[in-house]
Amino acid sequence: MLPSVRGAADFLTVYADWLFSSGATCIRLEKNTRRMAVSLGVEMEMCILPRHIQITVTRGNEVFTSVVAINERPVNYDINTRLSRLSWDMADGRTGFDDAQKAFSEIIEARPATGCYSTLLASLANSAFCRLFGGDAVAMGVVFVATFAGLSVKHLLSVHRFDARLTVAICAFISSVLAAADGLFSIGGTPQLSVGTSVLYLVPGIPFINAFCDMIDRHYICAFGRLMNAIVLMCCLSAGLCAGMLVMNIGMF
Amino acid sequence: MILQIIEDALFSAIAAIGFASLSNPPRRACLASGLIAAVGHSVRFVLMKFTALDLHIVVATAIASLIIGVLAVVVSSRTKVPAEACLYPSLLPMFPGIYAYRTFGALVMCLYKGNEGAFNHYFYLFASNGFTCFFILLAMVAGATIPLFAMKRISFQVTRRGHTPVL
Repeated sequence: MLPSVRGAADFLTVYADWLFSSGATCIRLEKNTRRMAVSLGVEMEMCILPRHIQITVTRGNEVFTSVVAINERPVNYDINTRLSRLSWDMADGRTGFDDAQKAFSEIIEARPATGCYSTLLASLANSAFCRLFGGDAVAMGVVFVATFAGLSVKHLLSVHRFDARLTVAICAFISSVLAAADGLFSIGGTPQLSVGTSVLYLVPGIPFINAFCDMIDRHYICAFGRLMNAIVLMCCLSAGLCAGMLVMNIGMF
Repeated sequence: MILQIIEDALFSAIAAIGFASLSNPPRRACLASGLIAAVGHSVRFVLMKFTALDLHIVVATAIASLIIGVLAVVVSSRTKVPAEACLYPSLLPMFPGIYAYRTFGALVMCLYKGNEGAFNHYFYLFASNGFTCFFILLAMVAGATIPLFAMKRISFQVTRRGHTPVL
């Protein structure tokens, strides 16, 4: 049985909100939502803004518009993948509206596998990054410790719903202060690389690339919104790094 | 030479897998990211260091990113996860972190140093590193996203059950 126009619009907007905040680009958002709308027997137009998504659903003479404020959530490609699969399941007739709602609830309630495991892996990644830039073994060790500490604080602050921009600045400060140990105690041969690499885990790479994808797809407003978001985060990162270097009295060159 | 390439590939793979874990992708996407990053980064390494062309970092990055983009789309059809999940972590090892750091450092020094000579020197460093950083970023995102759009049929159908998209 097909859902009401209002039911379809509400479901599609919540779906779009979750898909957007889990790191999907505008083109994926449009394609997925549209194929779900077709399976629900409605026509759909959507407007994607940097902080809101508006969906207008039509069936015959019935028209309903639903607007949702996009919630800030950490990028989660597992949710992104499962939501994309759900849209195909609906389009291919494998899942009806009621089952889709249940499946959607299960997908969004799944806890992300973050914590000590991903913090360790990301710390290892940042020290490997340091090696790629030419850092020595000491620099790699220092970067590992600095990243682990910074990421642990980041998780802690995000649990308490601390502002994302301030979180980035604080983590950059902590990581750069710890990484300065390399130069301060003259234990390694590449102290500049330790400090420079220690904050790279905070670089907002996904918003940058998503912004470019949206730009190619002519979603200029959304692209600009994502780009500005990434630039603001970069500024916060730079401020934290600068404060750390000032406190530790490290010269830039 | 071979040892250097292997070392470069290994550390790129570790970096990609580690950064991928932060965005909580399916496990198979993590492994694919490591593999793609290893190939992409070592291609850039070889193009810059071991070819007669002796390519500039921006050009080498554009070529490597294009290869990463194509691989991400092809591999995503096997792993059944959106290509972006493999693409972004694979690109991260090529991020011009040190150029960004030097750009920012030179900017701060411009503000600190009052005399004209020192200011000009640091402004030169700011502009030189900043331009390189910007164009590497541009080469990365342009090179990697073009295959996503050029192979739309695969990119946006990989999560469909019982369907293997072909070129």
